[in-house]
Amino acid sequence: MTLTAERGLRLLRPRIRRPDAWLGIIVVLLGWEAAGHVLTDSYVVAAPSQILLYLANEWQLMLRALWVTLGNATAGFVLGNLAALVLAALASAWPRSERVVTGLALIVFCLPLVATGPILRVFFGPGNGPQIVLAALAVYYTTLIPLLVGLRAAPDSWFDLVRSYGRGRFSALVHVRAMAALPYLFTGLQIAAPAAFLGAMVGEFTGSERGMGVLTIRALRALDVEMTWALATVATAVAILAYLLIGALARRILLEDPPVILAMPTQAVGASAAWRDTGLVVLLVLLAWAGAIWLFDLNAFFAKGPIDVVEALFVDPDAAQTRAALGKALGETAMFLIPGYLAGLAAGAGLAMLLTLVPALSHTAMPLAIALRSVPIVTTAPLVVLLLGRGAIGTITLVAIMVFFPTLVACLHGLRQTPGQIFDVFDSFAAGPLTRLFRVRIPAMLPAFFAAARMAVPASVLAITVAEWLATGGGIGSLMALSASLSDYDMLWSSVVLVSVLSALGYALVAFVEQHVLTIYAPEQI
Amino acid sequence: MPPDRTPPPEIVCTGLGKTFQGGTEAVQALDLTFESGQTTALVGPSGCGKSTLLRMIAGLEEPSSGSVSIGGAAPLETRKRAGLSVAFQDPSLLPWRSVHGNIALALKLARKPVDSHSIDQLIQLVGLDGFADARPAELSGGMRQRAAIARALATRPGLLLLDEPFGAVDELTRQQLAQDLPRIWEAQGTTTILVTHSVSEAVLLSDRVIVLSPRPARIVTDIPIVLPRPRTQEMARDRTAADLIEQVFSALSDSKSEAEKPLAAQ
Amino acid sequence: MTHTPLSRRNFLTAGAAVAGVSALGFKPTLVQAQTTVSLQLSWLHSSQFAGSYIALNRGWWTEAGLEVSLLPGGPNAPVEPPVVSGTALVGISAADYTAAAVAEGAPFKILGVAMQKNPFVIASLPANPVNEPADLVGKRIGMALANTPVLQALCSLNGVDINGIDIVPTQYSAQPLLAGEVDCLLCWETDLPVAMTMQGVDNLTMLMADHGYSVHSQTYIATEDTLANRRAELVALMSGEVRGWEAYRADTDAAAALTLEMYPDAGLDLETQKLQAARQVPLMFSDLTDANGFGWWTDETVAANIETLALLGRTVTPDLWDRSILEEVHAA
Repeated sequence: MTLTAERGLRLLRPRIRRPDAWLGIIVVLLGWEAAGHVLTDSYVVAAPSQILLYLANEWQLMLRALWVTLGNATAGFVLGNLAALVLAALASAWPRSERVVTGLALIVFCLPLVATGPILRVFFGPGNGPQIVLAALAVYYTTLIPLLVGLRAAPDSWFDLVRSYGRGRFSALVHVRAMAALPYLFTGLQIAAPAAFLGAMVGEFTGSERGMGVLTIRALRALDVEMTWALATVATAVAILAYLLIGALARRILLEDPPVILAMPTQAVGASAAWRDTGLVVLLVLLAWAGAIWLFDLNAFFAKGPIDVVEALFVDPDAAQTRAALGKALGETAMFLIPGYLAGLAAGAGLAMLLTLVPALSHTAMPLAIALRSVPIVTTAPLVVLLLGRGAIGTITLVAIMVFFPTLVACLHGLRQTPGQIFDVFDSFAAGPLTRLFRVRIPAMLPAFFAAARMAVPASVLAITVAEWLATGGGIGSLMALSASLSDYDMLWSSVVLVSVLSALGYALVAFVEQHVLTIYAPEQI
Repeated sequence: MPPDRTPPPEIVCTGLGKTFQGGTEAVQALDLTFESGQTTALVGPSGCGKSTLLRMIAGLEEPSSGSVSIGGAAPLETRKRAGLSVAFQDPSLLPWRSVHGNIALALKLARKPVDSHSIDQLIQLVGLDGFADARPAELSGGMRQRAAIARALATRPGLLLLDEPFGAVDELTRQQLAQDLPRIWEAQGTTTILVTHSVSEAVLLSDRVIVLSPRPARIVTDIPIVLPRPRTQEMARDRTAADLIEQVFSALSDSKSEAEKPLAAQ
Repeated sequence: MTHTPLSRRNFLTAGAAVAGVSALGFKPTLVQAQTTVSLQLSWLHSSQFAGSYIALNRGWWTEAGLEVSLLPGGPNAPVEPPVVSGTALVGISAADYTAAAVAEGAPFKILGVAMQKNPFVIASLPANPVNEPADLVGKRIGMALANTPVLQALCSLNGVDINGIDIVPTQYSAQPLLAGEVDCLLCWETDLPVAMTMQGVDNLTMLMADHGYSVHSQTYIATEDTLANRRAELVALMSGEVRGWEAYRADTDAAAALTLEMYPDAGLDLETQKLQAARQVPLMFSDLTDANGFGWWTDETVAANIETLALLGRTVTPDLWDRSILEEVHAA
């Protein structure tokens, strides 16, 4: 029932081994350099040489900013992953709590950064609090989910062994589960590292004296294309380095490569249990929300509780207007979000299939895809909008990019999952590559595809709200930023509730489709 | 050590039965006693419920009816004081621990002192000298099973449950083990229950062979094996042993054909 | 201030000491020892706030017994909430944002007005200029959609039909104007036009304040409670501000240089900051301030503000402005 990948899994190592891979990268760089020089007057692209020149001149400033942001990102990374460990241990020690724990974790993960940022700033006051917390919030879910898979990724007989010596759950956790989960933990950590950096940068937008996020805003406003691209380059390099570093650490510690698992397979449970758990999650969220406001004595001017939101949406004299404004903004967002999400999924899965048909290409594509998956959205959003404009195309592309890379990586992995013997059987019938793709590979790919599709829901919501806020100025992302600046905290909290709930519902919807499709194509995965 | 002095337990199954969720009946109301210090082999056709019976005795499977007593105690109690060991069909070695480490873990789980020297002796005994620091992935299937047997012996349990422990072991090693293991059991004073496919192995290793019917498992024949110890492979050619092997074979095939009749009629 | 033991503000914030003192019954009428207070800025550090930096750098607040920390803002930084919650003694807001917060129940008063003239401009390129509101008709204007009410108000004030203008949503960048995606931008005098000039792009700006758009900007706000109970600190803070900004006016280049010196990590460019500092002067100083001092306003300017704010959908009364602190500062 788990995507048991503990055996024989090859990490898609982003190590470039072949000359043709280098060739691809050189071609990309040359094209970029040329574009930078041709498009100077449009203030959109800085050539690699210009970026290097900027970095050579301003390396001290950049290093100081990097130091600050990296420090916060690291603190958030540690805290977020510790939280994930604690939650996973809780769910493992008390399995009945698992669905409630993951439900709560999902809701918290779906909270829109644009809105949580200012709320955290008010809560923490001046300092690094929001940067660290946003970094932690950005990582804990992507660690928790693989960890939960990993904690179950052990054959029953290992647990029988522990039981046969009269030991219980705790010994199983210490001696079996913890070690079995280690590869999965590393997978989570690899994805988490770039996310922490992103969280720390966004945190700086809430009021900070220094850091990469501060410089990014400054560069955009000052029309400093070199600085904008230099920042994006440094952020990307750091993200990729962190990814590689954790990968290297994992290879040193682990006996096998970390599995490429992005999300937990959905569990089939009875409808009544599902409703009970969902109800419990909602109840706990409401309690935590109202409780935090009461406990920390937050001012009613900006801290709106569940009752305030219900009143704002249904009771107040302007409730109809509030609902209309939210509906309009959500509609605008959906217009870009849904096509972008679907396009990203289709492109990711499509390219993965194409690459298996033309294996030579994958040597360039794979490391590139893994690297680009780590690029922080805050730096890409302005670049994509610079390149493609503020209209539908730019926004849809941005969402699609956020969905595309994780999907591609997951699908490539899934496509490679097919056991060799099955191909031998097909070969014995002289089946062509297309037949093999459709009959064997795609069904084998589906579980990984859906795992990516589920995790892409919150990611795409994050992408679009950031894009709307920083670049296009429309939709729910902009509404949230505007509500905060106009002190319309009823609207802000209502938006947060709606965005979180809709993201979680989107996730559930994908999980629903997943279950039905997998029942047909990959029954052993359920 | 105290466990050595206490006599090995007598195991009493009373009305022991197991019906799985979904209605499959694996074991049907068995009344069975395994005598103290004896080695009993359970043979029967594939999927007849032998393993389920073994797991119920270990308390790893909750019986649907009846009960198991291990020297007067419940299986859980016995497990808690490390009174039993199981060698599973799948060697179930933890891949991140060496052979030595896997055996040491069993001692740790059993809350017994980890004595490196005796672990090495066991490793030598199962013919894995030189592989103490090897990880399971570096071993062949048969070597892994031998490591699992060493692990099961390490805690010096009163009750040893072996579930087809020689499935992947090559013939030569198997013969060697068949000679060596009973000596350890005797020396340690264990009651041993062995599930096996091999009729000759069952006869040569045990004091008693119980032939089980196809699912649900019932006792078809209970054959005492009166052969001198220590036993050697040559004994298989001995008249008495050959007779016993023949006897078990025919009981086995009778039970099989009996079970297939209603199946064919369906 | 609350006395709930669980309130973390009581433990952690700068105001904790003061809270403790008032809880014990000593109402500090005179600031004697060093009191720590915060001033919440409305944006990232830049010469936009250089007057405050001068006051801090020259120790004018310390002389008055005040330890001031300047809290930076940012694109996602809350400005009004820290003032409401007491994290900041005073915040830098603008009349329209203050009015919005008051409508949501925040007990704010405006204590001083740093920008007499609102910094909103319509920026365009010389080849296709916008010199007056009527020129906007038929043009594509790049702006944050959130600022639509601002454009609407400008149109109403000048009898221009807003439907004749093509609004293109943009955010935080002059790039759409340079790329020809739009003909003009709604932005700040001291922001995108400065960036364009620094990039060597000739541009011109039409200050909306010159066409009837009267909204006080960079206003100092504090809560009614603070105004009633912490007057001494407010007076000390504001007199430092007044001195700082007078010094700023005397030498904007020095002010810009100080900004870079104090905030080397803000990624600022000296020339840009000098230009920004210089362009800010006409917005902050006028005959009115020359006659009455920095931060001043009159009933007439307030009336004009109320009128423009009404066009923005904000109903306010003159008592949103409280000149008592400023009067005390300038009387001294």
